[in-house]
Amino acid sequence: MSGTATLAANLPVVSTGRIGVVLRPVLWLLLALVVVEAVVVVFGIRTYYLPRPSVIASTIMATPGAYLAGLWRTFLETALGFVAGSMFGVVMAVVFHRWQTLRELFFPLFIVSQTIPVIAFGAVVVLWFGNTLFAKAVISFYISFLPVTVNTMLGFSAVDPRQVQLMRSFGASDAQILRRLYLPAALPQLFVALKLASSLALVGAIVGEWFGDTTGLGVLLLQAMYNENVAGIWATIVVSACLGMGLYGAVSYAERRIVFWGGEQ
Amino acid sequence: MTLVDRDFQGAAGDAGTKDLASVQDTAGAERPLIELRQVSKTFGTVKALQDLEVSIRPGELVTVVGPSGCGKSTLFNILAGLEEPDPGNILRLKGVSSAASDLLGKVSFMPQRDLLLPWRNVIDNAILALEIEGMPRAEARKLAMDMLPEFGLAGFEAQYPNQLSGGMRQRVALMRTFLFKRDLMLLDEPFGALDALTRTMMQRWLLDVWQKHKRTVLFITHDVDEAIFLGDRVLVMTARPGRIKLEQVVELPRPRKANIVTSLEFISLKKTLLEAIEEESMKSFQVAGH
Repeated sequence: MSGTATLAANLPVVSTGRIGVVLRPVLWLLLALVVVEAVVVVFGIRTYYLPRPSVIASTIMATPGAYLAGLWRTFLETALGFVAGSMFGVVMAVVFHRWQTLRELFFPLFIVSQTIPVIAFGAVVVLWFGNTLFAKAVISFYISFLPVTVNTMLGFSAVDPRQVQLMRSFGASDAQILRRLYLPAALPQLFVALKLASSLALVGAIVGEWFGDTTGLGVLLLQAMYNENVAGIWATIVVSACLGMGLYGAVSYAERRIVFWGGEQ
Repeated sequence: MTLVDRDFQGAAGDAGTKDLASVQDTAGAERPLIELRQVSKTFGTVKALQDLEVSIRPGELVTVVGPSGCGKSTLFNILAGLEEPDPGNILRLKGVSSAASDLLGKVSFMPQRDLLLPWRNVIDNAILALEIEGMPRAEARKLAMDMLPEFGLAGFEAQYPNQLSGGMRQRVALMRTFLFKRDLMLLDEPFGALDALTRTMMQRWLLDVWQKHKRTVLFITHDVDEAIFLGDRVLVMTARPGRIKLEQVVELPRPRKANIVTSLEFISLKKTLLEAIEEESMKSFQVAGH
């Protein structure tokens, strides 16, 4: 009896965990949509302020190609910036971890770089790289690497020094200790940052598009705003939200697969 | 010197009951495997060790007991090559003068905590040291798989540390230490965190494994029973600054049965050792009281 109880306790945690990650937000979203639809109808809110979800849906369905193209473009910019930013973030964490002097010299600069508003920075990037996909990716990159660096360093500092000593007593080199101990040990912290960075990278890409482009969710947002196409604005918001959730979900899924041991040290 | 000589004969005599190869081994190795003379270690204003003298012969199991904070762990860190003693020391490995850092990678070291990596399963934790040495993973895993039954871990190779009990985790850590084949094994209170019953089981099991593998072991503990039950010799350390206060040869016959702890010989040894430790504990207590 107790055997089946432990089995029952073990299995559903894994299965509902995976399906739940995808299903639960979707269910909540549907529920929220129904509530919003009802509220708009019951209180007679004008479309100018808040269109009904069904109106938003039909706006998307009217020109699905434009939204899909925008989604794809923004996704590419975000993904490129996010991946590059994450890799750069981890590399910088390793560099700062290995060389204390570099950390003292440059880490403050990292923090300062983040106090420059991305809007101010965006104009420069577009001047440098033109109205390209790459320019948007650069903005995404800029906005997403710092949390990765900070959290990876946090993960490194949480490594038990006795663990390092043990590896040294086996004659391990610094590179071996980094690969077999520090990097895996920092993974739980790293994923916290990656989830944050995925959302930030999307913001970077959308804001980047405002500086000039022809496709992308940011462009759709601006066009709809200039045309006072409220349903269009909301439609873009919905598509952006889907993209954001998709990215976050993908990172969470990877986290569950990779950091299977949890935060246990 | 006479103490050491007498003691050496005792060990050789003991070995008579073992197989012939080990007798020759012990007899051939007149010089100690590792020898420390006048070893001191100062941390800032604290003197952890002062003029410590230890020598361990091949195949011996030497246990170290002492009051808490007597510098046992400092001694271990020096022997593991993790810390350099103060200048003016003599440290010989197989008769060759060495710096402590030369010992890095030459001694298999097991710290108090199992320090298993949570993202590695039992097998991959056990082969960590072999992997660092550059042995291909497949080969190392095969070697470890063959050792699993002996460590009571057969069938657990794919489990992760958070699925194991404390005793099993400790056995995985010991297996990792055994697989890292070095002349000297350092075990720092490996059973300290286990409950009393598991601990006695582990002690008996360790003796079995040690006798089979013929390894030289230095074993730190705060448990006098454990020190006598396991050791060929028990070293009692003084309160800080740590020195060897007493070197007690344990001539209990091997293999040792569990009930040996109630024998008269065992009890008289325990009495001598407890008195020595008590004296030192009182000293460190008084120092702390000031």
